[in-house]
Amino acid sequence: MRYAILVLAAPYSHQASHSALRFAHAVLARGHQLDSVFFYHDGVCNAARLAAPPQDEPQLLDGWMNLSAEHDVALQVCIAAALRRGLMDEREAARHGKSGHSVEPPFELVGLGQLVDLGLGCDRLITFGT
Amino acid sequence: MILHVVNQAPDAGRTLEQVLSAMADDDCLLLIEDGVVGAMPTLAALFTALEGRRYVLREDLESRGLLGRQPEGFAIVDIDGFVNLTEEAAKTVSWY
Repeated sequence: MRYAILVLAAPYSHQASHSALRFAHAVLARGHQLDSVFFYHDGVCNAARLAAPPQDEPQLLDGWMNLSAEHDVALQVCIAAALRRGLMDEREAARHGKSGHSVEPPFELVGLGQLVDLGLGCDRLITFGT
Repeated sequence: MILHVVNQAPDAGRTLEQVLSAMADDDCLLLIEDGVVGAMPTLAALFTALEGRRYVLREDLESRGLLGRQPEGFAIVDIDGFVNLTEEAAKTVSWY
């Protein structure tokens, strides 16, 4: 089956991101295809490239990046939710006159239409909220 | 069949009450995260109508020290079992 995951909660504030990452690995381990993890609302904070949690805590950013690198899973971030939280890639930073960027590949800023496409194209869309 | 996934503790609001009233006769319930607190003996009466259709996530029970305290009737599933339930259900609705 084709799966997609929707994450709505900020990392380290709620369990949702941890649950979603564990679920993602279980989906792949069972032989399914995981098209994308879509980050929306406070979930976009999972894409903050400067996140530096203590070394003895779960490394969620690394977890998402490894998931993408090892299993070719898209990491899609709602651009409107991201920009209003100070999360932007180099292109958006330049467009808004900001001196740094806080999102980089494999995370990609996309419109909500991509979430609609996932809902239409995938067999299962599983939501992890706060 | 719809799988209803609840991550809120029973005392965190009216989520559980709303889920139970929204479920159809063949729907299933899975408790995860703080929702696993619902699978305690004192709350067993809430779920009597869901015989054979109620599940609770092992990893979240274990991380809260609650594994082994479930009343009869709750099936304990691990994260693979969670995925399996989403395979079987035509749709999955998350309540949070």
